[in-house]
Amino acid sequence: MSSGAVLLEVRALTKRFGGLTAVSGLDFGLRQGEILGLIGPNGAGKSTTFNLIAGTYGADAGEIRFADEPILGLAPHGIAARGIIRTFQHNRPFGGMPVLDNVLVGAHTRFRSGLWRLVAGGGGGEERRQRRRAEELIEFVGLGGLEEADVGTLSFGQGRLLEIARALAGDPRVILFDEPAAGLTPSELERLGDIVRGIAARGIAVLLIEHDMRFLLPLAQRVVVLNFGAKIAEGPPHEVRRHPAVMEAYLGDAAAL
Amino acid sequence: MSWARWLAAFAVLAVLPFFLGNYYNDVYRKLLLWITLALGYNFLFGISGQVAFSHFAFYGVGAYSIVILLFQFSLPLPLAVLAGIALCIIVALAVAIPSARLEGFYLALATLALAQLFIVVLNEGGSVTGGTGGLTNYRLPDVLGMRISGPWYTVVIAALLVGTYAVLWRLDHSWFGRACRAVRDNPEAAAAMGINVARTKVIAFTLTSALAGVAGMVYAFVDNTVNPPIFGLENAFLILFMVIVGGAGRHAGAIVGAVLLFLLPFVLSPVIGHHHVLVFGVLVVAAILLQPRGLIGIYDELRRRLA
Repeated sequence: MSSGAVLLEVRALTKRFGGLTAVSGLDFGLRQGEILGLIGPNGAGKSTTFNLIAGTYGADAGEIRFADEPILGLAPHGIAARGIIRTFQHNRPFGGMPVLDNVLVGAHTRFRSGLWRLVAGGGGGEERRQRRRAEELIEFVGLGGLEEADVGTLSFGQGRLLEIARALAGDPRVILFDEPAAGLTPSELERLGDIVRGIAARGIAVLLIEHDMRFLLPLAQRVVVLNFGAKIAEGPPHEVRRHPAVMEAYLGDAAAL
Repeated sequence: MSWARWLAAFAVLAVLPFFLGNYYNDVYRKLLLWITLALGYNFLFGISGQVAFSHFAFYGVGAYSIVILLFQFSLPLPLAVLAGIALCIIVALAVAIPSARLEGFYLALATLALAQLFIVVLNEGGSVTGGTGGLTNYRLPDVLGMRISGPWYTVVIAALLVGTYAVLWRLDHSWFGRACRAVRDNPEAAAAMGINVARTKVIAFTLTSALAGVAGMVYAFVDNTVNPPIFGLENAFLILFMVIVGGAGRHAGAIVGAVLLFLLPFVLSPVIGHHHVLVFGVLVVAAILLQPRGLIGIYDELRRRLA
């Protein structure tokens, strides 16, 4: 289960928007190869936490450490380059490019050839290598055969799979999934579950925001529950769902658990 | 593309002027220069998504600086070329760095201001820029004891075009070109992929501006005169129109647009005189409203239907 070393550590993380404390004194750790679910009612601070980790927002207090280095205050591209890659709640494909090129954009930080080398006609070997890898990733998420397809022609579910392949192309050590199950059909959900397990099996730490508990609870090894920006419970899914504070937070929405 | 294909393209373009008379040589040279400019502007506007109006001004910076550095500062040709490129890079960075973090609208304004300021500097530059009359009565220094003129100078322009195209094509078909397109399509998602958005924009702007400057240096010895009206806003918009009508984001589109809009006046002038600008206006509006992918988009569509 969660056997690896702690890769991503969040300590006393706090974010205020004006008078509203969106995240308040949040602590949790994410281990290598672990699938950790981040749940809570709407407005609990899940997305804010994601944006803090990904560098989209600056924090008011606390610390985020990745592989024992502080990363709070780094720009989003700097955090991605270190190996923490996020997906977005709504698919954000690069519209002017085919599927393969979208995945290659995800591999951006893996390229080493400088501009002068490219201008001189170099970098071809690296380009071919990354292309092969991108094709493998497209195959892994189940989009094989669609390499040259216009992203505009993909279904919603295929677009979600593309987002995942694109995120994997950056060789992440941590992946942040923002509600990946939203809008997917039951068969797509099943496929997504397999992919997420496959990602964790590669040793990548997975942090998952999810509303769909039927999808998340069988998948996650551990769950952190937020309410009003604070952590109210943490533990294996079967314990957390019976936790009194969690039941209270989800009161009237018990079916969701 | 391989070196062989670029060389073949160069050979074709370089042989042609030897079969043309003086008049058509002049038309041909200017056509090649417009294609070069449109290719660079397409990378900036179409691929990188930056709405800038300074491309033609950098063409002017290159043209004026090579003449001033050669004949007023008496620099040797290679040094003058390097200094001219350095000047373009410095000016480009000075505009791009503050604009990169702002929304695209501010880059448009900053580059429009730069283009206007450049004309003011040219007009008020006294003996350095030659004022409203510009600089004239100079000719290209001999290179290795040889005088390059007539169709041989057209060969230089063909090399400029193919060289510019090769640089842009290679960058476009690399991680850098994909990063530029990603930044254009969705900056936030691009940043999430590890792309430094501001840096990518600044590099694309500076690179294409420097290429425009180099083209300007070559242009300076086409007519052997540089003067303010050439580098005015009218031509800045003409490159924009070329790229839009041809198809923004596609090299072939830039080429088609440049060829069409450059040659159209030659065809239309005998019929409607200077009213060809009206036709341009209609073409641009039609392209934006009916065919945002430009003429090359129509070609793609036809090919898909026939396939």
